Amino acid sequence: MSIRLSRRAALILSVAGAASLGTRLAAQENALRLAFIPQENPEKLLGDVAAITAWLADQIGVPVDGFVTIDHAAAVEALRNGDADISFMGALPFVLAEAEIGAVPLLSEVYRGAPSYTGRIFVRRDSGIETLADLRGKDIAFADPISESGYLYPLAEFVEAGLVAGPGDADAFFGRIFFAGGYQQAMQAMAEGLVDAAGASQYADLLLTPQQQAGIIWIAESEPIPSHVVIARPGLDADVRSRFTDAMMRLNETGNRDLLRYLYGPDGYVRADPGAYDGVRDMARRYGLLG
Amino acid sequence: MIRNLTGVMLATCVGVFLSVGPASADPAKEAPWYPDAAAYRLTLFLGNLEPLPWDVLEAAWSDPYRNSEFSAGALAWLGQTSNTDTGSLMDAIARRDRQSLFAAATRLIALRIEEELDRALDADDPASAQQAVRTARDLYRAFADGIATADPEVSRRIGLAWLELNSSLGSAGVLGAGAIPAERDMMIAARSVISDYLAENYLVDDFAPRQQLSPLPETAVLSGRDIEVPPSLPPGSDIFDQDPLPLLVLNFEEQGIDETDLPLVAYGDMLFDSAQIFGSPARDLGIACSTCHNRSDVNQRLFIPGASHQPGAIDVDGAFFNPIFNDRRDDPLDIPSLRGLRFTGPYGRDGRFASLRDFTRNVIVNEFGGAEPTPFMLDALLAYMLEFDFLPNSMLTADGMLTDEAPDAVRRGEEIFNRPLAGLGDRSCASCHVPDGNFLDRQAHDIGAAGPAYEGARAGAFDTPTLLGTAYTAPYFHDGSLPTLAAVVDWFDETKSLGLADAERSDLTAYLEAVGSADEPYEIFDAENTTFRLAFSELMTFASTLDTLLPRRDAEHILLLTDTVAADLSADASRMSNLAGRPEVYALAERLAEVGAAVREADWETAAAHWAAFKADAEAIEERAF
Repeated sequence: MSIRLSRRAALILSVAGAASLGTRLAAQENALRLAFIPQENPEKLLGDVAAITAWLADQIGVPVDGFVTIDHAAAVEALRNGDADISFMGALPFVLAEAEIGAVPLLSEVYRGAPSYTGRIFVRRDSGIETLADLRGKDIAFADPISESGYLYPLAEFVEAGLVAGPGDADAFFGRIFFAGGYQQAMQAMAEGLVDAAGASQYADLLLTPQQQAGIIWIAESEPIPSHVVIARPGLDADVRSRFTDAMMRLNETGNRDLLRYLYGPDGYVRADPGAYDGVRDMARRYGLLG
Repeated sequence: MIRNLTGVMLATCVGVFLSVGPASADPAKEAPWYPDAAAYRLTLFLGNLEPLPWDVLEAAWSDPYRNSEFSAGALAWLGQTSNTDTGSLMDAIARRDRQSLFAAATRLIALRIEEELDRALDADDPASAQQAVRTARDLYRAFADGIATADPEVSRRIGLAWLELNSSLGSAGVLGAGAIPAERDMMIAARSVISDYLAENYLVDDFAPRQQLSPLPETAVLSGRDIEVPPSLPPGSDIFDQDPLPLLVLNFEEQGIDETDLPLVAYGDMLFDSAQIFGSPARDLGIACSTCHNRSDVNQRLFIPGASHQPGAIDVDGAFFNPIFNDRRDDPLDIPSLRGLRFTGPYGRDGRFASLRDFTRNVIVNEFGGAEPTPFMLDALLAYMLEFDFLPNSMLTADGMLTDEAPDAVRRGEEIFNRPLAGLGDRSCASCHVPDGNFLDRQAHDIGAAGPAYEGARAGAFDTPTLLGTAYTAPYFHDGSLPTLAAVVDWFDETKSLGLADAERSDLTAYLEAVGSADEPYEIFDAENTTFRLAFSELMTFASTLDTLLPRRDAEHILLLTDTVAADLSADASRMSNLAGRPEVYALAERLAEVGAAVREADWETAAAHWAAFKADAEAIEERAF
């Protein structure tokens, strides 16, 4: 199977999510369509998608199709176009999707007991860098420009510290700024000495080897960031939305927890609190991403 | 030793090589390899084995590598995703031409990188370009350690080029918000750095002859410099811990004796977990006694391509570990359990060593290329291993009789087990697997499990294995050819014409399963009793032997301990549940390394001070060590 994905919500899997239990809902004549974002090998994700959509179809009582999009932006476009009903999403793309197309948050992921995490600035322990100010004129790698923990929140720490005037002025403070393509690439670039610092999720150091982990420290931590979220297109039938959310909440039950590994491996889900994303909305406005 | 990586967030994205560097004994989970890059790395690895296993090598290109997350093998994958031509590669394999194979495979990977870079530059949108660059970079990983070893400065320059390339691709944002335009000139310049180097080093028409296949760049090979790429295991290898983790039963512990009061045993426990006692490549890869015999049991998942014919088996006298000990025979053995070791001599599958001490020295020096162990090291290893006890089993009495807990089928099976059978020369199963002798007879018998190695050869006799604990050590026989105890019963019934009825075979199997079972076969972990806490406790016990070694000023054995334990402690911290506790554990590891540093300087006073500080710090953080 090819993993070459087209830009627009490439449908590379349409899982036979035929509902075997429950009542088929009249309001949802067609299958519920879930968009997934690849974090690693897309082909492996296909297997995960097949497993979770089959379970969801069984739980919800409607067929569930899953497909993998090339990135968050493509998933949002799929929601807008009606190609997808529900998508897994980062907090920042969610607030953008909310503003543009009225996307609705349904569930938030839980990691280590909280539906939030932080972004951190990591440096090598032997670098002599102890404060954000020490990074003046130095090179830094971030994950991606549309990443809350891998760019916006870590950079905001420099603004908070009075080192960077605003989001558009980072070039004046740093030597070079790179977008490495992901947490792991940014952290690896820092650990290997290609750059002096990396801005990434608080858990991103776990992506390094044990030996590399021992050689790095973090010097700044952002305010809490709401964790990744499951969102729906605005016109999705309320009953289907409710049944989907209820089914996802059942993943927290002991007998179903094994299925979480098919969904980016959170510890569980909580029902999304739209107010929890106010900070992200503010951040997006400050960066000029929201009007 | 506890080395399994438990579920940490995003652990599946770990993008590191399985090679772990000289100071480490802790393997890291590696990111998935693309099928073509995996086949290339397997080609390098298998191509250095003598004799070269061509069938395995051919399969490396046709089949998905073991535990691959891709369903396609390399050739099928290339057919789906690439326009590169695999003709010369296939021709080299068909001709069994090692040098041509190396050249064709190397060029193929370089061409694949070029193909993806072309796609990135031709892409209509940033997301597609980013995907192509990600693929190209994952393929470049097949060469990366060779370049880094040969020329760190070039490796750094190319690493920066990848960063620049990715940054120059721009971003489409989300519905236009946050869009960043691509920087075409920067993109082309960064690509040139990578492509120029590939052209000069990996897209060569005629590669210099390779004695050793490696990802070293051609210019480095032509320079004549003596460059050795750090050893690594190929894709498909698995040297991680068993899951669930077997319970370790130590005789002294069951009697309530603290291991810290048994310094010789504790030091042997440390050696059993130390890769430092082996030579390269085992030492560099973090392979120790406990890698195969973890928790005194069998690591059923251990697999190294070309050295294992199936999980849980390894050819320790093949080409990989110690070439001078290579017997040039493809004869991997199923790893035996060491439970009850003091009762199971002679040692080796065919009982070739009467002495456990001789057997242990052979493992260290010959099988794994280590330096000659000191008498103290062998004494310590033996002192520890002789404490390995069988798993308690409430269905058996100490003399091998069934207790009241055994169900009827098991009792019927016991009768068959003890019944003289014509097919066994009027002996019974119990004749060799003596119930009151831990279900073995300490003799070797030829039961026809192995075919003759040459015409006229005596086929081969194997040491009678115990049946205790065998419910958890599948597969069975010296080569692991029988997957279940039921299959073992069937094998005897068929090859020895025992004439057992179906019900009798079922009962006999039930008996074997009862004899081989245990009350608690596995360790049980919870939120705070984590694998790290167990590892921490073990490492502190190992370190406690310094109370004995420092007053004796035994520098050699102190340094072996501090090098092993400090590196393991630091590496193990990476899988703590209590992430906030990691800095304290790193500091503790450094404190132990400082003991070693002082001993290297013969500064015994400082060493003692660091050791005292270590003990105080260890006690202070113990509660948080999970």
